[in-house]
Amino acid sequence: MKRKGIMLLLIWVAFILQSTVFKLQTFTNVSPNLLLMMTVSIAFMQGKKEGILAGFASGLFLDLFFGSILGIYSLLYMLLGYAVGHFASIYFDEDVTIPVILVTVGDFLLNFIIYIGGFLLRGRVAFPTYLMQIILPEMVFTSIMTLIFYRLIYRINHMLSESEKEERQSIWIRD
Amino acid sequence: MKKSRISIKIKSRHLLVALGILCFIMILGTLTTSAVPSPIRNAASMFVTPFQNGVNRIGTVMNGWASGFRNVRKLKNENEELQARIDELTEDNNRLIQCQEELTRLEELYKLDREYPEYTKVAASVIAKDPGNWYSTFVINKGKADGLAVNMNVISGGGLVGIITETGDHWSSVRSIIDDENNISAMIATTSDTCIVSGNLASMSNGRIDFSELRDRGNVVEEGTNIVTSSISTQYLTGILIGYVAEVAEDSNHLTKYGTIIPAADFKNIREVLVIQELKQTKENS
Repeated sequence: MKRKGIMLLLIWVAFILQSTVFKLQTFTNVSPNLLLMMTVSIAFMQGKKEGILAGFASGLFLDLFFGSILGIYSLLYMLLGYAVGHFASIYFDEDVTIPVILVTVGDFLLNFIIYIGGFLLRGRVAFPTYLMQIILPEMVFTSIMTLIFYRLIYRINHMLSESEKEERQSIWIRD
Repeated sequence: MKKSRISIKIKSRHLLVALGILCFIMILGTLTTSAVPSPIRNAASMFVTPFQNGVNRIGTVMNGWASGFRNVRKLKNENEELQARIDELTEDNNRLIQCQEELTRLEELYKLDREYPEYTKVAASVIAKDPGNWYSTFVINKGKADGLAVNMNVISGGGLVGIITETGDHWSSVRSIIDDENNISAMIATTSDTCIVSGNLASMSNGRIDFSELRDRGNVVEEGTNIVTSSISTQYLTGILIGYVAEVAEDSNHLTKYGTIIPAADFKNIREVLVIQELKQTKENS
């Protein structure tokens, strides 16, 4: 419960930052996708179930405040969290390569789906332009952010695991 | 103890299916009713809008410092340029005041109604922008409580910025004219020839928006021509400046023209906007 609360708090912070500070400079510039980074990191560290919940929460934030159709982003981010959750079995320490790869691939897939659903179906066929102007820059930014913030998320996760372990032991001793 | 063991046994697949169904219900719900679930958004915004407001204010201050240090020389040059421009404009202004006086005199003479009334406006500041990179919507810090309503026009720096799509008590979301899904009925200021102005993500990166379907009868449209919102638009008030023509070309049918516009509002640095508290009169709301 405590873990879920803290994860929700982290996602909330990511959302606030992403809609304000990272968008402050300009309208036209591309910003990193922190919510995707959070979803992928949580799913990779804790598995499918937490990935689903984190993805759902992240998507819901986007849907509630900026989406025109409620539920689309929730669904996409949730599926992403579930997919990344499969890689939780190879998670072992604070190695940052695998999460960065996962974030990069995940960001590409997500944006590709958004492009198909929101743009290609309306007749915007110039995929290379969108790839160069939106998808690639966002991928690069998001993976750089992951390089910077993954350690922090890892520490928080590690601390939570430690305190959970202690709690479990103390209950066990009391019994 | 038993309870916790049960909750652990919920498999990820079950969770996925359950939440997936919830998502589909929400999607279908918003698609079929076509009404935005404002109460939910309004409630949820209480946990977000105040923080966005605060963070943004801090961010703006810090950003101001940073750019202040960075651009001293640039600012100096700019200052000189602007000073020259002020002189120029003051001269223009004097001339225009005279023209204006003459116009009022003539209008009185002919008992004409004023075509472009002064609209009442409310200033608001931008507190959040769409976190994604595909759409250009943003949130401002005024809402229903300040007398704003859906479909009110938003301007900044003398040009059209967008239109309010949703309002809460103390926030409104605005879809900007550079958003890829936005279309405006517009016209050439001088000849009233109509065209359609549509946001396009691909041209947006060059700071442009597209226009098409222009029937340029007098063949007067060239680089720099003013394009304003048209009188036949159902959502936008008449005669608000959208921007200036940057490029123009003829369609293959030799009847219509298309091209790009440089928007009058500066979308690169949008902080403060003005909301026009007047809705376009249409058949439905009159």
